[in-house]
Amino acid sequence: MHNELVDLINKNVPGASATLNAAPDAKSDSTISVDANSIFKVVQFLRDNTTMPFNALQCISGVDYLDYMEVCYVLGHFDVNAPRDLILKVKVTDRVNGNLDSVVSVYPAANFQEREVFDMFGIRFNNHPDLRRILCPDDWQGWPLRKDYVAQKYYADMEVYPDGKMNFEDREFIVRQDMIKKAQLAAAKN
Amino acid sequence: MTFGLACCAIEMMATGASKYDLERFGCGAFMATPRRSDLMIVAGTVTLKMASRVKVLYEQMAEPKYVISMGSCANKGGPYWQWGYHVLNGVDEVVPVDVYVPGCPPRPESLIEGVMTLQKKIANERLLRNKWVKHA
Amino acid sequence: MQSRWDIGEPEAPTINKETEQLKSELLTLNMGPQHPATHGVLRIEIWTDSEIVAHAIPHLGYLHRCMEKHSENMDYRGVIPYVDRLDYLAAMNMEWGYVMAVEKMLGTEVPRRAELLRIVTAELQRIASHLMAFGTYAIDLGAFSPFLYAFDMREKILRIFEEVSGARLLYNYIWIGGLWNDYTDDQITRVSAFCDEMLVEAQKYHELLSMNKIFIERTANVGVFSLQDCFDYGATGPILRGSGYKWDLRKNKPYSLYSEFDFDVPVGTGEIGQPGDCWNRYIVRMREVVESVKIIRQAIAKLEPGSVMGKVPKIIKLPKGEVYVRSECPRGELGIHLVSQGESKVPYRLKVKSPCFTHVSMLPRVAPGQMIADFVATVGSIDIVLGEVDR
Repeated sequence: MHNELVDLINKNVPGASATLNAAPDAKSDSTISVDANSIFKVVQFLRDNTTMPFNALQCISGVDYLDYMEVCYVLGHFDVNAPRDLILKVKVTDRVNGNLDSVVSVYPAANFQEREVFDMFGIRFNNHPDLRRILCPDDWQGWPLRKDYVAQKYYADMEVYPDGKMNFEDREFIVRQDMIKKAQLAAAKN
Repeated sequence: MTFGLACCAIEMMATGASKYDLERFGCGAFMATPRRSDLMIVAGTVTLKMASRVKVLYEQMAEPKYVISMGSCANKGGPYWQWGYHVLNGVDEVVPVDVYVPGCPPRPESLIEGVMTLQKKIANERLLRNKWVKHA
Repeated sequence: MQSRWDIGEPEAPTINKETEQLKSELLTLNMGPQHPATHGVLRIEIWTDSEIVAHAIPHLGYLHRCMEKHSENMDYRGVIPYVDRLDYLAAMNMEWGYVMAVEKMLGTEVPRRAELLRIVTAELQRIASHLMAFGTYAIDLGAFSPFLYAFDMREKILRIFEEVSGARLLYNYIWIGGLWNDYTDDQITRVSAFCDEMLVEAQKYHELLSMNKIFIERTANVGVFSLQDCFDYGATGPILRGSGYKWDLRKNKPYSLYSEFDFDVPVGTGEIGQPGDCWNRYIVRMREVVESVKIIRQAIAKLEPGSVMGKVPKIIKLPKGEVYVRSECPRGELGIHLVSQGESKVPYRLKVKSPCFTHVSMLPRVAPGQMIADFVATVGSIDIVLGEVDR
């Protein structure tokens, strides 16, 4: 299924440069990567084509890989005869002004999902009708689900991480500190 | 006051419903507005976004007013204490709490005991809270 | 292109010549976050023209507990209690969804008895969740007594769960590779006894509420989600089925052992009202209860003695890759997007696609033109759990 889709996208959407990330075994899912600038056209094509349509957008999720961020569009086809799923990925390299085209006009479901990605990863979506933070308060600082996120000290006079809350000898905490250092090094290089 | 925030709210509802029936103990008339209630059961995680609303609702209640903090989250952050950047570390940072009910979530029996503890506390209240202090 | 999301500025109400001076403007009403009809801490900003809703804007995040951040710091087993607390009314189904994702990446074989018992547990939880939906929906519409009947039966399920798993609400029972504990024969007998009782009770609920004249007046033809809206917004579960589309993951994309089972998928047929309205969504839930009873009975008949825990390494490390696993929860489809970088005991990223999150995003679509009281009925009928929406 994925091979045909890649051919289909490349044939019909110029500049999409879709590539297949094949899963090595049944333990993980294959995905398709496309060019970040063409995401709107690709999603629109996937919904409107007749050979392999996808009639619903299930979710949009982001992943932070430190040197780049990835946004995954999980599409689905809710059809009794041919149910199918697809994970569509785009890369966002700019950590400061990363932006993508919004797909709200294709799938209205993307409205809240894109707001969540914006809230958690700080990726802006062009042409989004109402791009605000959705889960965190409007005046929150930072992008929580980035790996190098350091929470602000105070929010409205309330301590976010009170002293004594952190266990500084915790294994996971050390892992986290290493990640933050790596991210800072990567930022310094750029 | 019905102040269901999270998981504990379901146990609070179960306490008021048929099997446990909180009304046997002389309370449990859940009011939907702070103006008509004198006990606030904070049932669930208080987030930073919600904290200001908890405060406002508490201020809106008429005196005398009491607060029961139900569940680990409301007591001290619960399972979200460590990485919860958006979770308040205990509701007692915002409003004064009279009785803490531990558990995640507490069983209805625990909540009933919490309510009865509060009833005892109220029964022992003196008219003059502290006779050495002159109130303005 | 005019986006379908955009409802546009609400039109100003038409003004008669006599009342030209009496210009009206929209009133902003704030529903929640502490409101008895919002099932938690949902806040909806409503713009109304007298009784008519012109605009509804949901504000989320009052229960944002940073679960996804937590899961990036816990090992794979440690995440299970946090997944529990997402949808606290259907904790077993949530656990199962997450555990399936990990098992798929791990390649674990789950023993047959464990799979069957998972089905029994998940369907019992589905009944409990739908009972809760039934009770609270009745409260939303002003009927108190169905709530007491619903909780009466729900307590019986919780009693069984408590004996099996040790907790009443949040269980941590379905573990990676199997189950924490086995059902005893006595408990199995009680589950089947409960099933018999449930069928009688379900009939009673129909007499009590479903066919009640006032209830029908309040819910039929109210808050209609068209089928196209459902696909556009990615609605799943009872919402999609209530709109008349026969889609159930257990049937159409069977996971676990569901392909061996014989059951129907109830859909909203529009016998009262029209497909997609509140009454049809409600009746789909009530009929699913009966189907769940069917599944439980079949699963119990198939049970054979055996182990309930498969072979799982002591420290779980997943290979590099990612999965998206869907499962059918009482409120819709739960999607778990799990990313692993390999060589780590913690998930690299765990994204939970929650069904209610998408359903809340449909509210601005249906709200315009409704009465405020009908809007409350609509919010109640999609059966939100805020723990899952805000995560």
